[in-house]
Amino acid sequence: MDNDYFSIDAILAENQKIQCTFKQKIPEMGHLGGGSERDILPQSKRQIPIWLAYIIVYSDWADFDIPQPFSNKVRNALRAEPRSVRLSNLVGAGTGWYVFGKTIMDMLGDEQGIEMSEMLVTTFKGRLVDVIDQAQHFAALGPVGGSGGGGGVDSAPQMFREGLDTTERELFVLAQESARRMKRWYEESSGGAKRML
Amino acid sequence: MSLPYSLRTSITPPELELIATQQLIEIIPLIAIEKTAFISGAFGPLQPPRKAKIPLWMAINLKLRKKCHIVAPEWLSVEFLQSRLDEEINEPGFSKLPFRYAEISKVLLDVASDDIQNTDKIRSLLKDLREARQAKSREGLDQINRGELSVSNLCSMEINEIRPFFVHAMGILTHLHREASTEDQL
Repeated sequence: MDNDYFSIDAILAENQKIQCTFKQKIPEMGHLGGGSERDILPQSKRQIPIWLAYIIVYSDWADFDIPQPFSNKVRNALRAEPRSVRLSNLVGAGTGWYVFGKTIMDMLGDEQGIEMSEMLVTTFKGRLVDVIDQAQHFAALGPVGGSGGGGGVDSAPQMFREGLDTTERELFVLAQESARRMKRWYEESSGGAKRML
Repeated sequence: MSLPYSLRTSITPPELELIATQQLIEIIPLIAIEKTAFISGAFGPLQPPRKAKIPLWMAINLKLRKKCHIVAPEWLSVEFLQSRLDEEINEPGFSKLPFRYAEISKVLLDVASDDIQNTDKIRSLLKDLREARQAKSREGLDQINRGELSVSNLCSMEINEIRPFFVHAMGILTHLHREASTEDQL
C-alpha cells in the first residue's frame, strides 16, 4: 500500500498499463505498446506501463486516461452500493485495486486527485465493516469449517468474499487471526491450572 | 522480521493474562508463610485466618495446592456485572469496567470457581457483556477515520483484539487520503 522502494505491492501496481495519448511525435519508439509503425505520432494512443508512463506524463509528452477500473461506470456502481462491486475482477491478478488507485491518484492533478481519493476512501469504508464481520464469522467457525462450509448457501457473502481486493484480504486475514486467537484463549483453561494439574 | 505478521501487530491473549496476574488480590491463607521477597516486591507474612494481599499468580499457585481461598474482587459479582450490563445496553458508550477484567475474571473462574458465588450466572453475564461491547466496537468501525478513534473504557483484551485490523485499516485510509495542496506535482 505504501510507496516504499521495497514494497512488492507498489512494484506490482506499477506493472499495470494505462492508456496514454501522445502529444508529440516521438521518433523510433513505435514498438512501445506493440505498435507496428516506426514513430509515435501525435494523438496516437498507446498502452504504457505505469513505471514508464510517469516519465512520459511528467515530461508532458502525453496525457493519460483514467483507467477502466476507475471509470465512471465503476464509480457509479460504487456510489450505488460499494459492497456489490467485485474489486478483484476490475484489475488483473496480483495487483490491488486500491494500490493501483493510489498510484493513479498520485499522478493526477489536485482536483481529480481529490475526487479519486474520496472515491477510494468511501469505498474502503463502505466495505470495511463487512470484511471484518465475515472474517470474524469465519474465525468463529473454527479451522475445519473455515474453508468449505458456511456462507455457501446464500451467495451474497460468498460473492463479496471472492470480490475482495488484495488490501482487503490482508485485513480479512488479520481480523480472522485475531478473532481466532481470542476464541482459543477463551476456550482453553488458564495457564496456571494447566501447568499444575 | 521473522515473527509472523499477526504477532508483530499485537500481543497474544496468554501474554496479556500473564501481565494481568501481576495484580494484587486478597486471599485467606490456609498455611503460614513468612514474609518473602520476590523480584516484584516482598509479600506476606501469611498468617492463617487473616486476609493478605498477594499477586494473582501467587494466589493461583497457592489455590491450586489448596493452600488458600481467594476473595473474589468486588466487581466479580452478579449485582455489579448486571448493573454494568444494563448500562452497556442502554448507554451509547462503553461502561467502565476494570481494565483487565477479562483476563482476571477468566483466571479466577478457571482456578477458583469454588470461592466465587453464582459462577454460572457470572459466566453468562461476562459473555453478554463481551458480546454487547463487541457489537459497539463494530459500530466504531463505521466511524473509523485516518486520524484518531476515541474508545474510552475499552479494556486491554478488547483493545488487543481489535488493534491489528484497526491500525491496518487506518494506515490504508492515510494512504488513500490526499490533501488539497500545492505540493510536489512534478
